[in-house]
Amino acid sequence: MNLPRLGMLFMLVLATACGTAAEPPADAPAGRLKIALSNSFIGNQWRVEMENVFKAACAMPPYAAAVECSVFNAGNDVSTQSRQISNLISQGVDGIVINAASTSGLNGVVQQACDRGIVVVSFDNTVDHPCGITVNTDQVKFGQLLAQFVVDQIGGEGNVVMVTGVAGTGADNDRNKGAKEVFAANPGVKVVAEYSGMWDSATAQRVTAAQLPSLPEVDGVWVSGGTDGVIKAFADAKRDMPVFGGEAENGFRKYMAGTLTPQVTGMSIGQPPYLSVVALELARAVITKEREKGNLTIPFPVVTGSALTPGETVFPDLPDSFFADFTDSGPDAILVLCQEAATDGTPCPGKTLDVKLGTP
Amino acid sequence: MRDLQERLGYLVLAATAVAYFAVYTTSLGRPPGSFDYLAILNTTMPLVLVAVGQSLVVITGGIDLSVGGVVSVCVAVTAATGGTPGWILAVLALGAAAGLVNGVIVAFGRIAPILTTLATLSIYTGAALWILPVPGGSILPGVRAVLSNPGVPTGLAWLALVVAGWWVLRRTRFGMRVYAVGSDETAARAVGVPVERVKAGVYALSGLCSALAGVFYVSTTTAGDANAGAPFILTSIASVVVGGVAFSGGRGSAMGAVAGAVALTLVIDVLFFAGIDPLYQSLFQGLFLVVAVLLGTAAALLARRRTA
Repeated sequence: MNLPRLGMLFMLVLATACGTAAEPPADAPAGRLKIALSNSFIGNQWRVEMENVFKAACAMPPYAAAVECSVFNAGNDVSTQSRQISNLISQGVDGIVINAASTSGLNGVVQQACDRGIVVVSFDNTVDHPCGITVNTDQVKFGQLLAQFVVDQIGGEGNVVMVTGVAGTGADNDRNKGAKEVFAANPGVKVVAEYSGMWDSATAQRVTAAQLPSLPEVDGVWVSGGTDGVIKAFADAKRDMPVFGGEAENGFRKYMAGTLTPQVTGMSIGQPPYLSVVALELARAVITKEREKGNLTIPFPVVTGSALTPGETVFPDLPDSFFADFTDSGPDAILVLCQEAATDGTPCPGKTLDVKLGTP
Repeated sequence: MRDLQERLGYLVLAATAVAYFAVYTTSLGRPPGSFDYLAILNTTMPLVLVAVGQSLVVITGGIDLSVGGVVSVCVAVTAATGGTPGWILAVLALGAAAGLVNGVIVAFGRIAPILTTLATLSIYTGAALWILPVPGGSILPGVRAVLSNPGVPTGLAWLALVVAGWWVLRRTRFGMRVYAVGSDETAARAVGVPVERVKAGVYALSGLCSALAGVFYVSTTTAGDANAGAPFILTSIASVVVGGVAFSGGRGSAMGAVAGAVALTLVIDVLFFAGIDPLYQSLFQGLFLVVAVLLGTAAALLARRRTA
């Protein structure tokens, strides 16, 4: 008695599934490389920008003609990302670019990809299997550079506050380590407070506002993330503005440029979202044998003082939480991207993308 | 119609398997090969094991949120010790003990399962971070070759063992008592079922299943991560729901949950090959879950109307 109903149910599910399958991805013209981005988590501004610039780069020359890109998000679930990479292997892609859900959890499937001659490049949260290539920045140096800037600005003498990131992550650990080395080497500098802003502007502002009444005069602030929030807390408390060493939030740079008042003396360094594009170029170059396999550490985009260029290092019409380092700047820029690439993932009109990897 | 609810897991699995086959073949122009089947088998094994444990607990009318913590601890210990056979046995004992703690608190302390296991979830997760603060570790290649060989479907043998284990368990006195406790606790107590011991035993079994899942996880990924367990909490509950196990207790089977677990994994692949925009993938995964649950509820309602 159940059979007809079961049959109908079955057909229904099948029909739905086939309906979505009716439009298979178009076959790539011969000679185009297939490179896929396998990202884990997509719930914050940085990851969205990272994926947008990847899509924009793929739609711009020379990549538009040379590479067929695809993008997959897995959330923070290793088995989902592992399934997606297995499927990419089945699809026969030439390269896979990964921002991993776990540095170790993808080792098994990455090994299988390497065994089939697929070039695997991981960035930001990298994969630690030796057969893959990594592209990243030096997080210890991040902490050191910002701390050294603060120490130099206050003349090696004074009170400093450290606002750290999300505990238990490699990047937070490394950044704090670098900063503490520098502060410890300068006996005149006293770290009067250290608390976590969770790499989030709103949290950093709230925690700083709560800490400020108990703090003595502050000469310098070192921020791992959420810098604009920390500045707002100082401004709200009508404190004298200390020197800031912080991340690449657009809001922080607006304060540095004087678009937002009071103007702040600072140095802004970021983990650039364009790491995804650098990883794409590295994958392409390794697949076409233009470059040997080898890990790459790229320099940070650094902005100091008040010499900011609107539309290049600061974006007056973008929100404060936006990461302003989606493009590099200056004569040695690794790559230059436009605003719409980061906000919408659309190609920069009439531009050819030139990614300089430097000599290996 | 009651049959339909009990068989929901198999139906959903059959439907997703057909969809997977169809989408894969249209997308790549060839049917899935041995690499695909093997990869599915090896990545699904941990979830299958956790889902079996979860289904046992749900059949008694409880829920086990701590599976995430137990998997994490067991992954951490296995990876940190290099996964030698001796340590794997220790890990299995550890998982069973962690589950037993839940069971004792729930059964004898009479604290709601959701509260108990939520508390132990954070304890076990914290312990995992303490054992393995940075992702890493290793597993003996020999152990990997036996558990989740990337070239030979050894996983099938383990899957068969799980099925056989369940087949035996549900025919034992303990297995019948599990259903009795879930159907009507008071009645079970009245006829002399030691309800507390059955509950404690069920949570211990769930812990053991999570420990096995942890070992398989390290075996497939070749390394450990103290946060590995977290996704299993929701996916194991989802597998149980799709598998047609009733949350009111007393109905459903671990085999349904196994089918549910495999179906949930195949959905990821169906979405992949169907070329769904990645931004909407979790939306579709959620919709799949809702549809599966609604089908189950509709079946249960129809069954009730027919008997009324």
